Amino acid sequence: MLLCLVLAAPVPAAVNCELNNPVNDVTRLFPESTSFKTAYFSFATRGGEPLLRKVESRLGGAPSLYAPLNVPYTLYEIYKGKKQIGYIHGVNQKGQFGVLEVFVSLDMAGTIRAFYIQRMAGQWARKFTSPRFGRQFVGLSIRDFERYDTVGGRGTGRVAAIENPAPEAATDFFGLLRAVKKNLVLMDEFFYSAER
Amino acid sequence: MISRFQIAYKNLLRKKMRTLLTLVGIMLSSWVLVSLLGFNRGYENALNRDIDNMGYQLMVMAKGCPYEAATMMLQGGTGLRYIARSMVDSIVDKPEVDRVTPILMQAFFDPNKGDGGGIAGYYGVDPATFPAMKPFLRFRQGGWFRDAQAAEAVMGYEAAELEQREVGDMILVPEKNVQLKVVGILERSGTQDDGTIFCPLKTLQGIAATDKITTIGIKVKKGADSAKLENALYQLPDVQVVSFTQVKQTIMKLIATARVMVLSIAIIALLIAMVGVVNTVLMSVLERMQEIGIMKTMGAMPGDIFRLVWTETLILCTCGGIAGIGLAFAFARLSDLLVRRVLPYAPGGNLVAIDMRLALLTMAVIVGVGLMSGIYPAWRAGRVRPLESIRREG
Repeated sequence: MLLCLVLAAPVPAAVNCELNNPVNDVTRLFPESTSFKTAYFSFATRGGEPLLRKVESRLGGAPSLYAPLNVPYTLYEIYKGKKQIGYIHGVNQKGQFGVLEVFVSLDMAGTIRAFYIQRMAGQWARKFTSPRFGRQFVGLSIRDFERYDTVGGRGTGRVAAIENPAPEAATDFFGLLRAVKKNLVLMDEFFYSAER
Repeated sequence: MISRFQIAYKNLLRKKMRTLLTLVGIMLSSWVLVSLLGFNRGYENALNRDIDNMGYQLMVMAKGCPYEAATMMLQGGTGLRYIARSMVDSIVDKPEVDRVTPILMQAFFDPNKGDGGGIAGYYGVDPATFPAMKPFLRFRQGGWFRDAQAAEAVMGYEAAELEQREVGDMILVPEKNVQLKVVGILERSGTQDDGTIFCPLKTLQGIAATDKITTIGIKVKKGADSAKLENALYQLPDVQVVSFTQVKQTIMKLIATARVMVLSIAIIALLIAMVGVVNTVLMSVLERMQEIGIMKTMGAMPGDIFRLVWTETLILCTCGGIAGIGLAFAFARLSDLLVRRVLPYAPGGNLVAIDMRLALLTMAVIVGVGLMSGIYPAWRAGRVRPLESIRREG
């Protein structure tokens, strides 16, 4: 009976992307942090349908499995003492064999400090979750990804130079790049543009 | 000519506040009573529906501690206890059995799920018997497998949402690295099926390298003796039987205590309301002794006075009852939410099911008990001696 319940218990719905273990993950992604706050934002409360269309347009207008307008996105605000030093934000993106849960930590200027794949299906997942692959994203920002074509998978500059560690998994590779761009665009629209 | 109802109505209006408070008492007790009766029926209906939605009322699985098996599976998907596929044949011929479906449950360790990895559970089901066992399942996209050995999967609503899968997408069975094509995504059902990934039994047996199964789902014929079948199944070697009828009975026992308490409260509320009715009508009678005496001197018979006072009771109970039942209808959803918060297990659907039949039954109870409460004041009024009452009041 218990066995059935364990196996058959409904899984939580994919409503947003949260760190599985925020206390450990935040320290790993932001070693100098001393504390963090969890905040939530959604299109419904911050611009609604027009903003959603704008974000989709910046992502190339390709159809994607976006969450409804009222679904809250989770944002981790990172502090060193009382001073805020950055953010950690994750998004869900469709991958070849399942969802990709992709997080980036950003400094206050919007530059990527760390890249983290929390979830990915496929035998090549380890190649993508390796530190070597993640390091290619460090130092990039929305400016680098602005001209990245999420539909054609073509970019310029440092984005174009990002190496696919598993050529047989092109779908997942482009999914990850799209996830990072989606992440940066969302952060730009909701926070960095507003702060500028 | 003024009717008895009009006189009774005017009498009640003489002391508006007293009448109003009595009405409120009756209204509240009616509300509690109809909600409770609605809950009794709604809960049982919902529980039956949930159990019917399981598709089968009995499950046969290998003997052993289910806790131990669950722990083993969580630690790496090993240690499952299996039963032979031939067991199905020894069950299907029993006279109480309507349908049987073999199931293989498998859990695979996915190292890429979260930080320390996680378990992905799969249900191998027989395409020939399982869909017929659950005809209420609806598809949001696609349908069941086209072939008993196809490398295909059907995903529950939440499983698909979590993995962002659509029909035509692929999923990968962890550990085994076997690709399955998603051919169907189910509508949300509110049951455990929402989080389940189904694939053809033979496909999963091939992936797990076993020809055995873990579970047999059994649908019992309507009206068949389920207990007799359970006893017969216990005679099979090395199996244990899980009966959803037993589960249902256990749950019903769990809530029975709470139900008795709530029923007691409802009866007390009803009694308090009726004491209020007696008090209101009796006070009204005592205040009108002289008036009743005059009516008698003018030719009113004890029966006329009795009926007049009883009519006041009838008006009070009818108005209070209608208001209470109206409130029960209006707040049925809220009652539902409150009940869900306190119950240890709440099935899906409406827990508080109130309809016109139940409303009429409650109304009959309220009016019946109310009229009984009104007998004494009406009897007191009927036996007033005209001259004595006029002299005393004078």
